[in-house]
Amino acid sequence: MKALILVGGFGTRLRPLTLSLPKPLVDFANKPMILHQIEALKAVGVDEVVLTVNYQAEVMLNFLKDVEAKLEIKITCSRETEPMGTAGPLALARDKLVDGSGEPFFVLNSDVISEYPFKEMIEFHKAHGGEASIMVTKVDEPSKYGVVVMEETTGKVEKFVEKPKLYVGNKINAGIYLLNPSVVDKIELRPTSIEKETFPKIAAAQGLYAMVLPGFWMDIGQPRDYITGLRLYLDSLRKKCPAKLTTGPDIVGNVLVDETAKIGEGCLIGPDVAIGPGCVVESGVRLSRCTVMPGARIKKHACVSSSIIGWHSTVGQWARIENMTILGEDVHVRDEIYSNGGVVLPHKEIKSNILMPGIVM
Amino acid sequence: MESSTEEKVVAVILVGGPTKGTRFRPLSLNIPKPLFPIAGQPMVHHPISACKRIPNLAQVYLVGFYEEREFALYVSAISNELKVPVRYLREDKPHGSAGGLYHFRNLIMEDNPSHIFLLNCDVCCSFPLPEMLEAHRKYGGIGTLLVIKVSPESASQFGELVADPVTNELLHYTEKPETFVSDRINCGVYVFTPEIFTAIRDVSSQRNDTATLRRVSSYEALQPATRIPADFVRLDQDILSPLAGKKQLYTYETMDFWEQIKSPGMSLRCSELYLSQFRLTSPHILASGDGTKSAIVIGDVYIHPSAKVHPTAKIGPNVSISANARVGPGVRLISCIILDDVEIMENAVVTNAIVGWKSSIGRWSRVQAEGVYNSKLGVTILGDSVAVEDEVVVTSSIVLPNKTLNVSVQDEIIL
Repeated sequence: MKALILVGGFGTRLRPLTLSLPKPLVDFANKPMILHQIEALKAVGVDEVVLTVNYQAEVMLNFLKDVEAKLEIKITCSRETEPMGTAGPLALARDKLVDGSGEPFFVLNSDVISEYPFKEMIEFHKAHGGEASIMVTKVDEPSKYGVVVMEETTGKVEKFVEKPKLYVGNKINAGIYLLNPSVVDKIELRPTSIEKETFPKIAAAQGLYAMVLPGFWMDIGQPRDYITGLRLYLDSLRKKCPAKLTTGPDIVGNVLVDETAKIGEGCLIGPDVAIGPGCVVESGVRLSRCTVMPGARIKKHACVSSSIIGWHSTVGQWARIENMTILGEDVHVRDEIYSNGGVVLPHKEIKSNILMPGIVM
Repeated sequence: MESSTEEKVVAVILVGGPTKGTRFRPLSLNIPKPLFPIAGQPMVHHPISACKRIPNLAQVYLVGFYEEREFALYVSAISNELKVPVRYLREDKPHGSAGGLYHFRNLIMEDNPSHIFLLNCDVCCSFPLPEMLEAHRKYGGIGTLLVIKVSPESASQFGELVADPVTNELLHYTEKPETFVSDRINCGVYVFTPEIFTAIRDVSSQRNDTATLRRVSSYEALQPATRIPADFVRLDQDILSPLAGKKQLYTYETMDFWEQIKSPGMSLRCSELYLSQFRLTSPHILASGDGTKSAIVIGDVYIHPSAKVHPTAKIGPNVSISANARVGPGVRLISCIILDDVEIMENAVVTNAIVGWKSSIGRWSRVQAEGVYNSKLGVTILGDSVAVEDEVVVTSSIVLPNKTLNVSVQDEIIL
């Protein structure tokens, strides 16, 4: 079985992290974002994953060679020479997706994290017999997104309404599809939107069905949602596989600490914290609602909350980092410094307080 | 020939009263400003201590209009400690800076002093009193003022004066002028001979005469009375200005530091100045430590003997910790005054702040400001019994007594 992951572009919303690595390789819960998806696909029997990229493909491929070997799954890249939208990449990858077997293939948006209920989706797709299945998720403010209007019992999709002014429904496109190969025939090789052009055609022909995504869903393409997403993910991990979470006297709530990370004495870690490989957290440190990327060091008595600390960065003694501070790669915050929402580009030293949210180049 | 009865010196320190010094709130809500601790000692301790260096000092009088009981305890304690007789004299009402001196002239002259020092309690300087006295004797006038050179921009906040560069005579004096007169200003420290009382009395009686004249005109009697009472004599406008240029008053210039402690933020600055002075005059008062048996100490730090500071804390520079305060493990204190009975819990950070009596600072919390001493929110002030909960950040704010902060605040005044 095959899958296509739409990786696309520059990941500008997740800067400064994406200045160092392409977005799919940015760690989330101590694992590159895209690896969460690839592992879940492998678990339902997908044997080939195609990534559509238009940026830093070489960096991606190097990383993916390791994954190929470890997971025994084939990974290839499909290069977009110009942005192809959300449907164009499928046409571009036609040769890889349409292999004559008639098996449906998955299409995922690389920014999406969820419980990836692929097995249930395959069963749903077989049951309704339509050409395409789409996962939808319920949101509080549908008008921010594209709403999928569907029949409640069968899930048959009637139409898509982009950012509706009046309430038409509360289910939005979750960015996970299961499509028959025939769908690719309907897509022209040019920049195309799957929601605006392809799906409406299929829906008109009564062939598109929507399944409500069980469990959590988050588009972690920007820092605030990344941090919320971690909370949802760890919450889900506690329900499904609590042994993976870290416990201990200094731990409160859901916390994930890589086995190669070191934590000092007298700390208080959690809730909703991920500490990556090779990190050092010295004694007397307080961490809450934050991600510490691989190789970073948090020095004694520091306090970090609701922030992301980039690879190999350091947070100085008694420093206070909070309120959506994002430190890029190799950023060094001096002792006793305060950062309130600073967004710091890679390879910088922070020597004076950041009192109000802002960018430090 | 020096006879001990002839050369006695009396010092008078003006301490003001509750209606003066409202700029010092909220710190002065619970304690008279002169008793607020600077560098570990009450503000008034520093001029009193300086008076001790005057040869043949007979008596120190604190003159103000606070209730007697507010100063009773302090006065007897400081007399014992410094072995200097100190007495508090209460004015029944404000008489002005010179009027207060005059009001108690009989008491002051009891010891037949040859010279009388007059100091303002909220002046922060090195108090070169013996040197001033010597200079004053040479000049032979009725008074000598301590003066200092400041930046032309800031001079207009003070009394500006002009002095003869050779004789040091005071030629001209004007209080808070609108236009630039001079960059030399009046420090608020003076030494006088007893003839000063005559000068004050002359001003008083002149006023009385004018007052009598005024009563003649019924038209004027109907005008709203902003007339100053005859016994309210201000030293600057009423004595110094008129006597300037008459070979009666002289100046002594100090090259050391000088500040006025008008706002809470300035008390932190003056604490810094006095602590650095202790480093020179009495370094044994200051704390030291390298993290092994006692906390790491950087720069000039005062820790009261009864305070407890965990060895893993790092303190300084410019920190004063008062009696019975408790500083927990991993705490960082920079440029701050920690008052009595304060409790600071693990890993908290306090910088550019004054933490009021009995307050508590939670774990990993942060009390901070930018440290601009004379700006309103330049130093964070926590009144007494303020509780800052764990992990809360208090930035550039003033918090009145008995408040609990469970969310972070910035640039606010919390009533």
